[in-house]
Amino acid sequence: MARIAGVNIPTNKLVNIGLTYIYGIGRKKADEICKKVGIPASRRVSELTDDETLKIRELIDSAYHVEGDLRREVTMNVKRLMDLGCYRGLRHRKGLPSRGQRTHTNARTRKGKRIAIAGKKMAPKG
Amino acid sequence: MTRSVWKGPFIDGYLLKKADVVKASGRHEVIKTWSRRSTIIPQFVGLTFGVYNGHKFIPVLVSENMVGHKFGEFAPTRTFSAHTAADAKAAVAKK
Repeated sequence: MARIAGVNIPTNKLVNIGLTYIYGIGRKKADEICKKVGIPASRRVSELTDDETLKIRELIDSAYHVEGDLRREVTMNVKRLMDLGCYRGLRHRKGLPSRGQRTHTNARTRKGKRIAIAGKKMAPKG
Repeated sequence: MTRSVWKGPFIDGYLLKKADVVKASGRHEVIKTWSRRSTIIPQFVGLTFGVYNGHKFIPVLVSENMVGHKFGEFAPTRTFSAHTAADAKAAVAKK
């Protein structure tokens, strides 16, 4: 069991894959970290020595924005937009896409699951 | 795509002049502008702009956080009247 940057415990996976379980670390940063600490790509998380885990932990703590800090930063940025009263902020408030995408159809990621409108007839086919 | 840094921020020239005049006069009057495309720069902080939205001038008091945004972002051009509770009821009744 390896605990890096708080709550993350990925085991049995390659180190660079396991690290991506941390919020804020994807493949690119994971590879970067492995390179800096000097871990071969074939190493698995369970095979890490204590020394190496410590090194990874220190590196992430010092050089990367990760987990809680990153989440807070993101929500602060969104909050800033909302308080500002600018267009992007309004879109965030309404839970709609903020970068000019269409909302006539699609945009389901932001809008969430479809809600049936009572009494609306389906368009006749053909 | 982000704008090239070497070009600097885009502002309509007349807006700068107007802002200077109002600042010099010391009175805080609304600067009416149609230039929604202009970037808000630090010199504008504290001034009030009336940003045209195609219909009327929306007063925007520029704060520090707004620097780097465009004027148009603060004056929405579309009105969306939300579905009211009455609408929803009417829809149900129709059924």
